[in-house]
Amino acid sequence: MLTLRLPHPGTLVAFAILGLVVGGFIALATFDGGTPTLFSIGPYLGRVLAFSIIQATLSTVLSLALGIGLALALVRRSFPGRGIVLAALSTTMVMPTIVAVFAVFAVYGRSGWLSEGLAFFGWPGGITIFGYPGILIAHVFLNAPFVARITLDGLNQIPAEHWRLATAFGFTPAQIFRHLDWPVLRTELPGIAGLIFLMCFKSFAIVLALGGGPSRSTLEVAIYEALKIDLDFGRVAWLALIQLAICLSMTGLLHWAFTRPPVGHTVRSLVRRPDAGNRRLKALDSIVLAIAALFIAPLALSVLTGLRNIPDILGADLLQAFFTSMIIAAAAAVIACLLALALASAARRKRLVLRSPRIAAFYDFLPDTLLAVPPFALTAGLFLLIQRSGDPSSAGLILLPLINGLAAVPFAYRFVAPHLLTVEERYGRVAASLGLAGWAKLTIMDWPVLKRPLAAGFALAMALSFGDFGIIALFGGTELVTLPYLLYERLGAYRLDEASAVGLVIVLVAFLLAHISGRLSHAGH
Amino acid sequence: MLVIENCRLTWPDFAADYSLSVKAGNLCAVIGPSGGGKTTLLHMIAGFETPQSGTLTFDGQNLLPLAPAKRPVAIVFQDHNLFPHLNVTQNVGLGIRPSLRLTEGEKMLIEETLQAVGLGGFENRKPGEMSGGQRQRVALARALVSGRPLILLDEPFSSLDPTLRRDMILLVDEMRRKRPVTILMTIHTPEDAAHVADQMAFVADGKVVASGQPAEILNSALAPRIAAAVSNS
Repeated sequence: MLTLRLPHPGTLVAFAILGLVVGGFIALATFDGGTPTLFSIGPYLGRVLAFSIIQATLSTVLSLALGIGLALALVRRSFPGRGIVLAALSTTMVMPTIVAVFAVFAVYGRSGWLSEGLAFFGWPGGITIFGYPGILIAHVFLNAPFVARITLDGLNQIPAEHWRLATAFGFTPAQIFRHLDWPVLRTELPGIAGLIFLMCFKSFAIVLALGGGPSRSTLEVAIYEALKIDLDFGRVAWLALIQLAICLSMTGLLHWAFTRPPVGHTVRSLVRRPDAGNRRLKALDSIVLAIAALFIAPLALSVLTGLRNIPDILGADLLQAFFTSMIIAAAAAVIACLLALALASAARRKRLVLRSPRIAAFYDFLPDTLLAVPPFALTAGLFLLIQRSGDPSSAGLILLPLINGLAAVPFAYRFVAPHLLTVEERYGRVAASLGLAGWAKLTIMDWPVLKRPLAAGFALAMALSFGDFGIIALFGGTELVTLPYLLYERLGAYRLDEASAVGLVIVLVAFLLAHISGRLSHAGH
Repeated sequence: MLVIENCRLTWPDFAADYSLSVKAGNLCAVIGPSGGGKTTLLHMIAGFETPQSGTLTFDGQNLLPLAPAKRPVAIVFQDHNLFPHLNVTQNVGLGIRPSLRLTEGEKMLIEETLQAVGLGGFENRKPGEMSGGQRQRVALARALVSGRPLILLDEPFSSLDPTLRRDMILLVDEMRRKRPVTILMTIHTPEDAAHVADQMAFVADGKVVASGQPAEILNSALAPRIAAAVSNS
């Protein structure tokens, strides 16, 4: 007799996510936009693509150079304040891009610190940051610390025995680099490089604010402009289709090359590196540290200047925007956590209970795909879907938490999945012998172990979503204002003082949430 | 002859004071509870830890002022002895010359030594493609080709199963008969080494509590403490 069994919620979620992406894709591909053809937008598309690739390549190379130099200098040196630097490196993970845009304006802008400093020495002025300089500065500012952080984690994994052997063999600094540092860098580099390239390729806020011209657009910005300004849905469909195809295939490549980034703490290995005393390396490291400090510190500090302007922005606008941001962030975090939980438990079931590691690997891969899904391309697709069957004006309220939530799934997944696996390995057999399954298994066996990592994932998802300036650019306006949108408006009006205060509020909330997340995830160990 | 006299080391939570001598060409098994200071003793001889006072000499040469690389010492750890990106020949070659610019004669020596430890034909393998026992044999080969007269083995075979462990200890014994080397080996299970070691030292609370013939030590008043140390770890 055939019995109808409900599929695992994770399976449903996986199909729903695939459905959203594929549905958006199909909506785009089948959209009959009338006039524009791929041929007619060809030259424009070529320019946008060329710009996207060049700026992403340059951003990646510069971020890697500075980040790796910084990591090596930090791992070889100890100096007062090193602990603070290490802690600060992790914070750029949740540094909102729109705040980085503000920092670039504040330091390198027309009336920024640099021009004021140069004017003081009699420089006539006239630095322009629009185009490559501003975009590269912002991208390197956000990504170099991330590179340094991941590389440091990798370098700290070198076993103490290897350092003792290097000492015992009398390795020169060059041999230490070749046999100890380089093997680590070589395994980490392709993944980090690919990830940063992808992030810069689909960069939105930074390129929108600092691009300074229609030819200096990424595909995401081009889609935004076509949607918001030109209302040219035919062009939107083409651009989004190409963007989706490029980003998804890059993720496939990346997944193939990338081992999962380590979620470790940065602990210093207890063994002294034998090359720490080398004079040339000391000089080199000092130079690298000085460059990093001169580049990163002003940008980071510029946000703090907002403190004195906070009284000026306190008002109904700010409160309204704050609450809107909070509600959207919380809704996005709920979506991210539920999806991550469903996917992770499906992956676990496949791996440990049904013993099909291939399907489990697919569930593990799905969240990473979401990291690559370009929000504007996906939004464009969903927007076209909704437009056919419903009311586009309310689309923003559904799409904002949904898109932000989807983008945060990979982060929530990384918190939840390992714990689910561990608990199954420990208690799975007991649970099976007791007949615990489904909801009972979740509440009795999983929940005690899961609540902290889930809360940590929730807080991080909120932090990421709270500061996000993505598709809000599309739906924001008089009726819907989030804090990042408010910041963008103030920047657009060249009201840097108010912008600095809004930026500070965003950063404080995002960092506070990320900090809570960090505390929750480490408290259990 | 290795002579350690009143070598004192102190940390906030641990203090050690070692005195021990081992005759040239002897194999000395170091036993004792974990956390008792066995590894610290070896690390001090190798130069990774510096005593605040005391003397440490080998064949009359004072080792204390020498950097680890300059000491007549080769060391094998319990784990992580090999660099995963280098093949077996290169890993062994590091013991001769860290630049890995090896002469034909040195390559021959490596090949012969690998054959002697039962790894002939493994020259181009990477550590990741070998078993734990094979990896430790590569590390042993490296200690042997380095030509250094004092070899320190820090729990070298503890992660191997009992049969393999005994085979490896027999291999160490066989090797030292071919070439005169002095060996200090920390070990978990004293009975494994009892029949090959010339000397046994019981280390606990940072001190060499007793040292002498293996049979003597194992049948002394320390027997209950030794048994406790083995069963507790």
